[in-house]
Amino acid sequence: MKKNLKFYIVLYLAKLSRIALKLIGRDATYFPGKLAVTLCPDFLGRIDKPKTIIGVTGTNGKTTVCNMIEDVLKENGYEFIDNHLGSNINSGLATALIEGATLLGKQKKELAVFEIDERSSVKIYPYITPTYLVCTNLFRDSLKRNAHTEFISSILSNNIPSQTTLILNGDDLIVSNLSPNNNRIYFGIDRLKTDTDKCENIVRDITVCPKCDSKLEYDFVRYNHIGRAHCIKCNFQSPKINYEVTNIDFEKMQMTIKSKSEEKYDLINNNIINIYNMLATITVLKELGLNQEQINPILKKQKIVDTRYSKEKEGNIEIITQLAKGMNPIACSRAFDYVRKEEGNKAVFILLDDLHEAANSSENIAWHYDTDYEFLNSESIKQILTGGARYLDTYVRLQIAQIPKEKIVHQREETTLVDKLNLKGIDKIFILHDLYSIDLKNQLKKKVKDKILEQNKQTEN
Amino acid sequence: MDKKIEILFPEFCNLYGDISNMKYLHKCIPKANFIETNFNDEPAFVTQKVDLIYMGPMTEKTQEKVIEKLKPYKQRIEQLIEENTVFLITGNAGEIFGKYIENEDGSKIEALGIFETYAKRNMMHRHNSNFIGKYEEIEIVGFKSQFTLGYGDNQKNYFAEVEKGIGLNEQSKLEGIKKNNFISTYVIGPILILNPEFTKKILEKIGIEEPKLALEEDLKNAYVQRLKELKSL
Ligand SMILES: [Zn+2]
Repeated sequence: MKKNLKFYIVLYLAKLSRIALKLIGRDATYFPGKLAVTLCPDFLGRIDKPKTIIGVTGTNGKTTVCNMIEDVLKENGYEFIDNHLGSNINSGLATALIEGATLLGKQKKELAVFEIDERSSVKIYPYITPTYLVCTNLFRDSLKRNAHTEFISSILSNNIPSQTTLILNGDDLIVSNLSPNNNRIYFGIDRLKTDTDKCENIVRDITVCPKCDSKLEYDFVRYNHIGRAHCIKCNFQSPKINYEVTNIDFEKMQMTIKSKSEEKYDLINNNIINIYNMLATITVLKELGLNQEQINPILKKQKIVDTRYSKEKEGNIEIITQLAKGMNPIACSRAFDYVRKEEGNKAVFILLDDLHEAANSSENIAWHYDTDYEFLNSESIKQILTGGARYLDTYVRLQIAQIPKEKIVHQREETTLVDKLNLKGIDKIFILHDLYSIDLKNQLKKKVKDKILEQNKQTEN
Repeated sequence: MDKKIEILFPEFCNLYGDISNMKYLHKCIPKANFIETNFNDEPAFVTQKVDLIYMGPMTEKTQEKVIEKLKPYKQRIEQLIEENTVFLITGNAGEIFGKYIENEDGSKIEALGIFETYAKRNMMHRHNSNFIGKYEEIEIVGFKSQFTLGYGDNQKNYFAEVEKGIGLNEQSKLEGIKKNNFISTYVIGPILILNPEFTKKILEKIGIEEPKLALEEDLKNAYVQRLKELKSL
């Protein structure tokens, strides 16, 4: 697409708006791109793009994967543009490209790392051809926005440019079937001890063969539709994995990845979700030409940001906070599964209300019933405390999961939940929270710490 | 006699947590026989008497498959509706029983044609809304989230009169279809859990006298709160 006069005018306006916003100390990560795509809808097509573009998409993990890719690249002296401060829709990408462009609309850097919202495919891929596009996974997400995985996978397949090399989660049969004619590289994790033959989750979005509609037989199930399967009638099966984790040593916190050779990488933590995120990151970086020595030392230094996960010990009790995006049933189910599989006696705070929805409307709570609250029905979970606008709904949901009333504390006011926390015999306290409830999480965490300190003082006296 | 409940194609028709309606119903009537009919099986209603037939929302491709699957049983379904069998059909599953589903390009997928209503898809524009509607003396609460809107005449056989939100489409104030004991509604999610009085009605319809609900007290508290909230919007 050519740069016409209109394009240049819009580019200058957007650049000026960015300077003006910065001068008055305002956030300039959103408006310039929004202005550009509003005034010139094909702006993304007209502006120059860096030679190499890494795109990252998928329901869960795209922000984490982008951050990891960017950190490794930065430490290795790569220069690139990215949208990590802005949005992951077309206007966010436009802002990054405007910032990276000269006044003639030429890009100053040769590399870009973009997080791309799945739903925005229609507005992005007609204009931007990622060199590599990573897809982490495709799950049910906000049903109001994303409906179902068939919808999301079809907009991806219908819009991903044919020249893009796909880097796909081979353990996700919905992801591995995206744009079947594109060049593709698969990453995956070989069967683990914790994998099962049967699906324990409520939701499994691919149960029949996409080729012939016959039943799919799962060789093993990790969670939901993650696992490996084959069709009972035709030759359809999980793909051959190019970058495969063949062994995870949780004691040494190391994994072995087999591609052309075998290499060891250090794990950041033991959560399977994070291992997938690391594996996706390593796969794209290796394809870009980096080697283990360039990747591992930086990845192992990575800290999962506090807003996603934190662990602290107060006295004998561990306090763990974990992001569990509300309205995202799989993210919440993973968090619940993580809690139940941790050792020791546990108390769990659940703060999953979408505060925005809570303020403006009655939240559509259908997603609670796609979420495996049943995982919280565990002998080792001694108390569940839930608050917020939807506390009555959560109370019902927990009981439908057969969790006895006696274990549940439910009330509107969140922070005073701590008053009802019973610390007796508890080894770990989990605070599961939404993206929107970071402040609340911090308040609660502080109150929990104070309560433990107070109790320890009393026992000392 | 223990009641028979048939869940049609739960491996496909399970979006938006709707299948929880049947899990909850099972808690209310633990002795009932819940038959899960998979897509490759013959539906139980073809050869036996069932007390309730349930089908939940599904993807657009699945709708086409389900229409083909049920076409041979159209007459049987009509007969069951005439004989007052209870049907609970949620979300876009209701479109299967209408005249057709129209795509954006104007092409039509012919449906069972048991009712006069039809649907139009708009895949890039999803409708989301809250819902309050009156069914008999009960105020039904819930949500809609859908790619389609319904059209056609349901004046003589609507399910609920809209108090808040939309009916078949943005201009309509009449929601869903009700003929004898056949009920279909675009309201999705755990409708039976959200609406305890409606659930009792359904249980009465399948012949349970003075039905008792599981967790009745807690469901009612949540219902009262939601109704208040929705009305205040
Ligand atoms: Zn097959």
